Amino acid sequence: MNNRDVAVLGVGYTNFNSVTPEVNWKELMFEAAQKAYQDAGIDPRTDVDSFITCAEDFWEGFSIFDEFTPDQLGAALRPMHTVSGDGLQGLANAYMQIKTGLFDIVVVEAHSKISELLTYEDVVQLSFDPIYEAPLSKGVHPYYVGGLEMREYLEATGTTEEQCAAVVVQNKRNAFCNPLAEFEAQLEVDDVMNSRYAFDPLKALEIAPRADGAIVFVIAGGEIARSLTDRPVYVEGIGWCSESPWIGSRSSDAAYVKRAAQMAYRQAGIENPQLIDIVEVDDQFAFKALQHLEALGLARPGEAGYLMAEGAFGPQGQRAVNPSGGSLGCGHLMEASGLARALEGVLQLRGEAGPRQVEDALVGVAQSWRGLPHGTGAVAIFSRRE
Amino acid sequence: MTFSEKFQKTTDVKHWLGDMEVDHFLYTAGIAGEAFFVALRDKGVILGTRCELCGITYVPPRIYCEHCFAELNEYTDVGLRGRVRSFTIARLGKDGNELKKPEIFAVIDFGSGTTGLLHKLGEVTPETVKVGLDVEAVLKPKSQRGGHITDIEYFRPVG
Repeated sequence: MNNRDVAVLGVGYTNFNSVTPEVNWKELMFEAAQKAYQDAGIDPRTDVDSFITCAEDFWEGFSIFDEFTPDQLGAALRPMHTVSGDGLQGLANAYMQIKTGLFDIVVVEAHSKISELLTYEDVVQLSFDPIYEAPLSKGVHPYYVGGLEMREYLEATGTTEEQCAAVVVQNKRNAFCNPLAEFEAQLEVDDVMNSRYAFDPLKALEIAPRADGAIVFVIAGGEIARSLTDRPVYVEGIGWCSESPWIGSRSSDAAYVKRAAQMAYRQAGIENPQLIDIVEVDDQFAFKALQHLEALGLARPGEAGYLMAEGAFGPQGQRAVNPSGGSLGCGHLMEASGLARALEGVLQLRGEAGPRQVEDALVGVAQSWRGLPHGTGAVAIFSRRE
Repeated sequence: MTFSEKFQKTTDVKHWLGDMEVDHFLYTAGIAGEAFFVALRDKGVILGTRCELCGITYVPPRIYCEHCFAELNEYTDVGLRGRVRSFTIARLGKDGNELKKPEIFAVIDFGSGTTGLLHKLGEVTPETVKVGLDVEAVLKPKSQRGGHITDIEYFRPVG
């Protein structure tokens, strides 16, 4: 691989809200894009070489979504494509376009206007295998698969339901310090344990509520970033992976994250992931945060729950995990969820995280999972290179 | 109500309701699916395909191994008995409301080295279901079987 390095030149974002009736989805994207270009100090009409959006037609409510994205990003008549995947997968595309030297400045956008999808559960149901899986659960909420996967994880690792509940407590508490977050709450483990089961052992409070929002990253070659900003955050590595789409064939240890992390760590030259300061993992379901921490090598199998319950991943712990509040605190932003995790990493490494700032953070990791019923994940490593 | 007035509901702003018409599509069973569903309908058996190299039996069958990418054409009857690998008690319907009667879903293994089959459990309560439970398939009567995954009504505890 060539030696050109890749950096985040600017970021822009909207608030994350449960509903956004004051704007349409294009205007939501425009707000994030405008802020990102201002943050990067660039003009999209003259300075950006390529644009990437991340979206899936069914979330958007119309087909061939990718044709509807240029104007609100300043991308008309420019190279542009859509990744049908999470924002970190879009970031991987930008990373490659810059690493290869094909382009110098690339924009990545991901968003959620999921409040406008009035039949969310039907769309999720449509993503089940139509022959073998979907016919079994007509009329049942498709998140039951989360309950199946949670039980398998608990059985395999000895993790307890209380330890999963501790994730909800921490992330919703962390969200108090994040002005973007929508779902902050002061809960105790007992509150979560006493809440209703949705899909035993998964409780309703352990499921991230959905939110609207848009996030835009401006990515550049390192030499360009250094000439335009005095606070570049480098993308040191990025990996992605998909495991079997068959519900009955999947691992209980988030193998998709293990493989993606190996790829990202290798590129970043990270031999010991324990040296990472800021960790943002996917927590669409509370147990997923623990499973993902173990898959990232930040805890041994079965240990993440214990460490979480002990506060080791809290603001005063040995390592900050989801200081943003995660999806449980910020809201699940669909294909923008991975960029939301990455956004926190960038703000922390720039020293712009306000009351939740982690001192002396040098290296961060952001991890995404595309959600049920599938097994695709991505991992990105960021650093500010002291 | 106009755009600029204070609104109480998201539907108070100017908006359009739309549909994505997706309820007409044809899904072909394919080579492995044909074998699986015909055997289930006509013989009342559950078939898998075996990859000898990897020691994996795929249930339901596939014509390829996801580990070594070998083409698979050895069909094997895995029997009607299996063991619960994982289960969940689904309490919510698609509308988010409580189901009148919770449904129990499970991933079922047919001996070691098989992939799990997703299906429902019956004749068992939330209190008595557990991981490792030995179960057997309850099939619809032959006359009512049409070659669908729902020809298996559910799995129930053995004995």
